[in-house]
Amino acid sequence: MQRKIDFPHTMWISQHTIRFAFREEISQENFQAVQQFNRFLKKHLQQNLIESVASYHTVTAYLKQTKDSIDINFLQKQWLIMQVATKDNEVISRKLQIPICYDEEFALDMDRVMNYTGLSFENIKKIHMSKSYSVYLIGFLPGFPYLGDLDKELFVPRLRKPRSSVSASSVGIGGFQTGIYPLDSPGGWNIIGKTPLNLFDVHGKEIFIFSLGDQVQFYEITKQEFYEIKSKGV
Amino acid sequence: MKPLLIVKKQGVYGSLQDQGRYGYREYGIPLSGPMDKVSFQAAHYILNNEKNQTTFEMFIGGFEFEAIDDGIYVLTGAKCRCLLNGVPIEMWKTFHLTKGDVLSIKSVSHGSVVYLTPKGGFQTESILGSSSCFPLVGEAINEGSILYGKNTGTLHYTRGLYAPFRPIFKSDITVRIFKGPHFELFTEESQQQFLQVAFQFSGGNRMGYYLKGSILKLKKMKDIFSEATQFGTIQVPQNGEPIILMADAQTVGGYPIIATIHEEDLHKVAQMRMFNTIKFVLMEEDVCP
Repeated sequence: MQRKIDFPHTMWISQHTIRFAFREEISQENFQAVQQFNRFLKKHLQQNLIESVASYHTVTAYLKQTKDSIDINFLQKQWLIMQVATKDNEVISRKLQIPICYDEEFALDMDRVMNYTGLSFENIKKIHMSKSYSVYLIGFLPGFPYLGDLDKELFVPRLRKPRSSVSASSVGIGGFQTGIYPLDSPGGWNIIGKTPLNLFDVHGKEIFIFSLGDQVQFYEITKQEFYEIKSKGV
Repeated sequence: MKPLLIVKKQGVYGSLQDQGRYGYREYGIPLSGPMDKVSFQAAHYILNNEKNQTTFEMFIGGFEFEAIDDGIYVLTGAKCRCLLNGVPIEMWKTFHLTKGDVLSIKSVSHGSVVYLTPKGGFQTESILGSSSCFPLVGEAINEGSILYGKNTGTLHYTRGLYAPFRPIFKSDITVRIFKGPHFELFTEESQQQFLQVAFQFSGGNRMGYYLKGSILKLKKMKDIFSEATQFGTIQVPQNGEPIILMADAQTVGGYPIIATIHEEDLHKVAQMRMFNTIKFVLMEEDVCP
């Protein structure tokens, strides 16, 4: 039998915004709870919900109507019923393989990462590609995925002074996370490679590559392959 | 779609805005939309436009336009000197531009954000369901830019708001707030100062307004997990000086959130300018939803 997830702590942020908070920690357990609760809200608030933003331990819901339109007790009961009734507590996630080129042309901070971790270039790549990461959060920039959890061996603090411009599709690491810049933007993560894929295309058929809960794994490509994929404009 | 105006002089910052881009915050796309919703809505009301038409929002004036075609317009928002071929015209009241006319938005005396809206609204490419400028992707409005309008009917009479109904932008404002999720993490002293001190506007843009007045401190240094923010969120970064997130606010933030401003008071905040002050009053618990 699966462990029950308690109903999150509820707080009104403003007239149309309600925040649901789980335990204050970053963990797979919280992540599952947040994803599940986010889907639960979308289903149960339906017409009243404009949109919701899920984060590490919170789900924030933006509503069309105010206070009186929401019956928290009812939601609590529904949540409980669902917990008992459903066995499908696991997040249904897509598995995505993302090509990355670690060539020194793109891996701007590889020296810094090697110095800090004491690892060789080869080992850093190997560890970075060794597991699949959950998309914990999307934000900061349109479509920017916060991917966790990075192997402890690769923990490197962010740059003291952020770069004024990091080019789109650069892959960085910072703290316990790795991420990909969807657009040219300022940024303070340690850049260790680049993907030839476009993460964000407002005119494309699929606007964003990633959704919350996706499982992302990197695989290495050569510089030549990088430019081949790039020229196809994927 | 027809060309209406050409930008002859570029002011501080101007952007096209409709009500905003809803439904994409979970992907990190800011809501955007007008900074001062009241002046935005008034413009459409005066022109008898549909609610979600597009307007041109300007910071602190400085813009000059030349009419490429005839059209009916209204200017709303911050109080400023507006000239039509060198002759002052009244805000909050419709006026007509004929091909070749020059419209100048001069110095602003009260408030900071001005809206120029044509009958029918401006026409621009809709990205993800909204015409609001998308600062990271869309095109900026510069000198030489052309603003397009729709082929809409005309108004056969002058419409406007009587003076008593027009908002007044004061140099010291008080706004209602809700306690933020991290309010209790601040020292008792900082909590009190936050609710007593008149903070001063020290600059900002469509993403955020910076305040000075008191240094707000946490009881103990603590890492905050990033979570959703919105227009009106008051964050406190390490330097202790609050930032109010505005219409182009990023969707999530990692600084402690001390409070959120009541949505109905946001237009007052939007119109703040240098040296204006702002005070925060906590909503009574029973009024609080």
